[in-house]
Amino acid sequence: MEPMELFEIMRKAVLEGEEEEAVKWANVALEEGLHPQEIMDQGFLVGIRQAGELYEQEEYFLPDLVCAADAMKAALEVLDHALKKAGNKEAGGKTVMLATVQGDVHDIGKTIVGAMLTANGWNLVDLGQDVPNEEVIQAVEEKRPDILGLSALLTSTMEEQKEVIQMLQEKGLRSQIKVMVGGAPVNQEWADRIGADGYAESAVSAVKLAQELIK
Amino acid sequence: MNMFGSVMSNQELDGIHKQSISILEEVGVRIRSEKALGLLENEGAQVDWQEQTVKIPRELVEKYLKLCPKSFTLGARVEKYNLDMPGRISTINLDGTGTRVRDFHTGQRREAVLDDVAKAARVFDAMEEGTVLWPPVVAHDVPVGAAGILGAATAFLHSGKHIQDEIKKEKEVYYVEQLLTAMTGSLDEVVRRKIYSATYCTVAPLSHDKEMLEGTMALTRLKAPILMYPMPASGSTGPASLYANIALANAEILSSIVIFQATTPGTPLIYGAALGAIDRRSGAYLEGSVETALQLTAMTQMGKYYGFPTIVAGCLTDAHEMGFQAAMEKTLTCLPLVLAGCDVVQGAGFLESSMTLCLEQILLDGEILKCCQRMARGVDTSSEKALMEEIGRVGPGGHFLKEKSTKALFRSDEYFSPSLSVREPYESWVSLGSPDMIRQGRAQVEKILEKEITHPIPERTEKVIREIMEEAGREL
Repeated sequence: MEPMELFEIMRKAVLEGEEEEAVKWANVALEEGLHPQEIMDQGFLVGIRQAGELYEQEEYFLPDLVCAADAMKAALEVLDHALKKAGNKEAGGKTVMLATVQGDVHDIGKTIVGAMLTANGWNLVDLGQDVPNEEVIQAVEEKRPDILGLSALLTSTMEEQKEVIQMLQEKGLRSQIKVMVGGAPVNQEWADRIGADGYAESAVSAVKLAQELIK
Repeated sequence: MNMFGSVMSNQELDGIHKQSISILEEVGVRIRSEKALGLLENEGAQVDWQEQTVKIPRELVEKYLKLCPKSFTLGARVEKYNLDMPGRISTINLDGTGTRVRDFHTGQRREAVLDDVAKAARVFDAMEEGTVLWPPVVAHDVPVGAAGILGAATAFLHSGKHIQDEIKKEKEVYYVEQLLTAMTGSLDEVVRRKIYSATYCTVAPLSHDKEMLEGTMALTRLKAPILMYPMPASGSTGPASLYANIALANAEILSSIVIFQATTPGTPLIYGAALGAIDRRSGAYLEGSVETALQLTAMTQMGKYYGFPTIVAGCLTDAHEMGFQAAMEKTLTCLPLVLAGCDVVQGAGFLESSMTLCLEQILLDGEILKCCQRMARGVDTSSEKALMEEIGRVGPGGHFLKEKSTKALFRSDEYFSPSLSVREPYESWVSLGSPDMIRQGRAQVEKILEKEITHPIPERTEKVIREIMEEAGREL
C-alpha cells in the first residue's frame, strides 16, 4: 500500500475514534517499513488535530473527542514500543500525569481532562481513581511528568490534593513538576492556599492552563 | 380537579422496574464494603469478592421492598414543623454540600464558612414552605473532617425544622447520636422523633462507596430516615438515553434498599434522585436542563410507584447569577415535580449547579415553589365554587367586587398571594424605585437577619451542643 494511502487511513481511524483500527494500521505501517515518527506526524497527528478543530467548530461533542483521544493513545503505544525497540527514545512531547485522589472514586472529570489534553498533543499517564497518595508520588518519581493533575469531587477528599503537594515537597520533587488541581468543589482560592500551580474549572481551560504552565 | 404531571404511564413505570431488576440480576452493583458484601452474601446474593460486585436476585429486592415503612414523620426540633411523609402538598428543602457562597453584602463569590450555614438556616426557618433543611454548604473555616457535624449542629441551633445531612464516615455517627440525644433528651426519643435524616448517594454507575455506605449503615441503629439519592448523568456516568439512565438510577436505589433493610429491617427510607445530564461539549454536569427535569419527574413517579415518600432534586439552575436563566430553569425543574406529587423538592437557594449558595435565592425559590403548589391544586370545581347565584344576581354588565363570595375567596387559597412579585402599575413602580423580585428578596433577607433567632435552643442544651461541636472539631 502506498504510504499516502496508509496515512489517510490512520488519520481517519483517529478522527473517527476507531481504537482497534488505529492499532491495526499502526502495525501495518510499521511492517511496511515506515518510520514511527513519520507515521505519527503524517497519519495520526493529522487526525487528532482535525478532531480538535471539529470540536472547536462545535461539530464534535465530547464523546467524539474522547474516542479520538483513546484511538490516538492506542496508536501511540504501538509506535512508542517500536521506537524503544529500535533503541530510540519515546516520541517527544510533554507529559501530563492525572489522578483522582485517594478516597475519591469519581473518575469522569479526570477522564475528560485527559481526553482533551491528548487531543491537544500531550502524552497522558492516567493513574486512575482513588489513587493512594504514596502511589502518586512513586509514579511521579518514576515517570517524571511535566505536569501532575489532581482531581477531587468531594469536599472531604480535596484535602488529599494538599497532602500530595506536601509530600512532593518533602521528597524534594516539588520544584521539578507543575501541579494543577480541579474538581467540582475546588477553586482558585483553594489552589492558591495549598500551593498548587494552577486550577482549571473545565477540561478546555485545563488544556490552556497546562500549556501556560510549561511555557 | 388537581393538576397532575407525569412523563410515564403505569406500564412504562413497570418497564423501568423490570429493567432495573435485570440490571441487578445480570450486571450487578459494585460495593466497596466487605461488611455490606458479607451481609448480601448471607442473604443469598451472588458475590464476586475479587471484583467487589454483587448480583442481586429479584426475590431479595421484592422481600425488602415489602419491609420498608411507607409512611412516617420527619420530626422537627420545634414540633409544629413535623412533616408527615408522604405529604399532602410539595414543600421545599435547600440542597447540601455546596462549597461557595454569593456573599450577601459584596455580591462576590467566595468560599463558604460556618456562619453561612447559620444565616441560611435562619432564612429557611422563616419560610413557611420550607420543611426539611439540609445544611447547604460545607464550611471552609473549620477542620475538614468536622465540617459535616458542625454544619448539622449549626443548622439545629438556628432552625427549628427537620435537619437532613449526610454521613461521610462512620466516626460521625457517634457525634450525630450525641447531638440528637442532647436535643431530644434520650435515645428512645431520638428513635421516636426522627428530627434528623441522612442523604445517601450511590456513585454512578452502579457503585457504592465504602465510607459513606458503612457510615450510613451505622446510622440505621438510630432508625433515622435515609434518603437514597442516585445521581447518574445521562451520557457520562449513566447511559445516554433518559429511559436507560432512569432505569440505572432506579437499580442503584433498589440495591440501596436491600443493603439498608438487610442491615436494620424497618429502616425508614425515602426515595430520591438527583439525576442530571451533561453539556455535550464540555462534559459539565447540568442541573437546569429540560432533560434533567424529565428524568427527575420520572424518578418522582418511580418513588410513588413503589409507595415511598419522595425527596427529589428540583428548583435547580446552572446559571451563575440570579436572573432570567435561573428563574426559567428553576421553574422548569420544579413545576413538573410538584405536579407529580413530589413530597419535598430539594435544591432551593442555589446557583451554579448547586455549588453556590445565595440567600436571596432561597426566598425567590420559595416563591416559585408556592406558585407551583397553587398550580398543583388546579381548578376547584366543587358545587360551592359554581357561584350560579352570584352570576344571576350581577347579570350581564356590572361587577362582582361587592359579592360576599368575592371577599371570601380573595382570602382563601383560591388565590396565591405572592410575597416577592412586583405587580404595581408603571408610575407607582417607578416611584417605588423600580423594584424587582431580586431586590425584594434582598430586603426580606435583611429583615429576617436583623431579627432574633425565631426558635432558640434552651441555653443548657446549647451549651451541650457547643461542647459536642468542640469535641468533633478536635477529633474528626
